[in-house]
Amino acid sequence: MNKKEFLKSSDLRVQTLELWLEQQWLIPEQTSKGIRFTDIDIARARLIHELKNDFGANDEGVDVILHLMDQLHELRRALAQLREDIKGRSF
Amino acid sequence: MRNPYEVLGVAATASAAEIQSAYRKLAKKLHPDLNPGDKAAEEKFKEVAGAYDLLSDAEKRKRFDSGEIDASGAERPQHNFYRDYASSDQGHPYADTSGFADFMDTDDAFAELLRRGQRARANRRGQDMHYRLPIDFVESITGANKRLTLPDGSTLDVKIPPGLVDGQTLRLKGKGAPGAGKGGAGDALIEVEVLPDRRFTRDGDDISLEVPISLTEAVLGGRIRVATPTGDVTVTVPKGANTGTTLRLKGKGAPRRGGGHGDELVKLKVVLPKSDPELDAFVMNWSKGKEFNPREDRI
Repeated sequence: MNKKEFLKSSDLRVQTLELWLEQQWLIPEQTSKGIRFTDIDIARARLIHELKNDFGANDEGVDVILHLMDQLHELRRALAQLREDIKGRSF
Repeated sequence: MRNPYEVLGVAATASAAEIQSAYRKLAKKLHPDLNPGDKAAEEKFKEVAGAYDLLSDAEKRKRFDSGEIDASGAERPQHNFYRDYASSDQGHPYADTSGFADFMDTDDAFAELLRRGQRARANRRGQDMHYRLPIDFVESITGANKRLTLPDGSTLDVKIPPGLVDGQTLRLKGKGAPGAGKGGAGDALIEVEVLPDRRFTRDGDDISLEVPISLTEAVLGGRIRVATPTGDVTVTVPKGANTGTTLRLKGKGAPRRGGGHGDELVKLKVVLPKSDPELDAFVMNWSKGKEFNPREDRI
């Protein structure tokens, strides 16, 4: 979806989105026809919104949380892959 | 749904600040995105979030306290959490491998595994794009070159192979969305819709059409022009042809899979001229003394 559609489905104001893009909290795909958002960006925007509004995290806090969370997800993925690869082997 | 005060573990007299603090404490433990491995926490989180939605809104809380509304319907609408996307095998721009960069520097199998995953995501293939293309019946038999205009204004040249059937999907390699790194673009998948034709219908590799003939042509036979997908041809109508008589034009149908072509079936239909006193008189005279009942085997 394009920027306008994203703003509508994520319920963000355009200034907020610009700020989040600048902070690289959201990294939409760059295509030849401009930036393109997908479902993962919507889910991430919702999470950022909750971190700020429900959990009281400030901007620096959100930055740290997102960074750690991205690493956590990648580790979990690597771990799942590893489990898949060693399935059935005994040690 | 349980009493929202119980869900949050606060007294009914709790202040807004106490409610918020209780919610934050629980949400940190239960939020699915902060606890990606804990599947059971999700249901509890939904309950907690619903309770908080109700009690954090002063107006709603007042109405709940006075019994005007109950706790049902306070649940948050269903949505996917971030973890549902972040943990998928599909690559995404937020993946961050710095959490195990040190492991990757080594030379063992684990490092290789991590590197492999990283490469796969850096070279992600582009998405396949789906389109729909309507074509004429004749084009579906003979093949054609069509130009598809995409939603973004660009165009795509599509070669329709001869003999294509309605609903068939053509795959244009590399014409989908661009990929990342060396991943290459996805494919364009084009579902072709064959528009119905006024004259021809298709049955497998054969096609058929109905051709009207005059009384003279039916009785005495003759040569008529008949349409085929590749242009008109001359066909001999046998003497004594009738409505329903079918002529087979070899090889004028759709191409067969293994080579060759199906046939075109020409169904004749006798059409009488508009009321003609001369014909009436002739038939009256002609039928005298003759017995011909086309329905004799019916009853």
